Amino acid sequence: MRRELTISEKNIDERALLGGRAMSAGMGAAVYFLGIVRGAEEGGPIAALEYEAFRQMAERQFHLVFDQAETRWPLESVRLVHRLGRVAAGETSLWIEVIAPHREEAFAACQFIVSEMKRVVPIWKKAFPLA
Amino acid sequence: MQVRIHFYSYFKDLAGSTEVTETVAPGARLEELLQKLFIRFPKLASMQRSALVAVGVDYQAGDYVLAEGDEVSLFPPVQGG
Repeated sequence: MRRELTISEKNIDERALLGGRAMSAGMGAAVYFLGIVRGAEEGGPIAALEYEAFRQMAERQFHLVFDQAETRWPLESVRLVHRLGRVAAGETSLWIEVIAPHREEAFAACQFIVSEMKRVVPIWKKAFPLA
Repeated sequence: MQVRIHFYSYFKDLAGSTEVTETVAPGARLEELLQKLFIRFPKLASMQRSALVAVGVDYQAGDYVLAEGDEVSLFPPVQGG
């Protein structure tokens, strides 16, 4: 399985990522999921979230999650980008693409990866209320 | 034996530091180190049931036997995405 992992302070360039899609002839499903910073957290409006990571461990844990996904579904590739630093409400904090032969495994693997990320990958966020 | 401990997220505030060192006996288990830390940093003690613990870049359970040079990280539940 091809895998690309980016953990970065830079904005997520969705257009460039979509332009970089690569699928072989046997693949028929590309599932995308975007995590967007909500404009409200715990009942109050917010301006942004600040993401912090234990970067080396985050990379290690993401790859362990990808390893598990690879054993469960016949995936051709996973590309995942997670923002760090301050991300304004309405901006994308997470971008993931899963490519598989059929939609069932692509959807299931995408859901699995995001759920596992929220369980084991050491990334935290802090809300900044609207001034 | 000296062990370095790193704190992440709001655990840095609870400990008042990003990293500290602690002395443990050779062959000490991770849970023994944690008990020392919760006594040393009482504000962290209230989080001990939800705290996540890693050695290096892997999660470890309390029975992990610490070795010279291990770097321990202590942090709250993760919140990526």
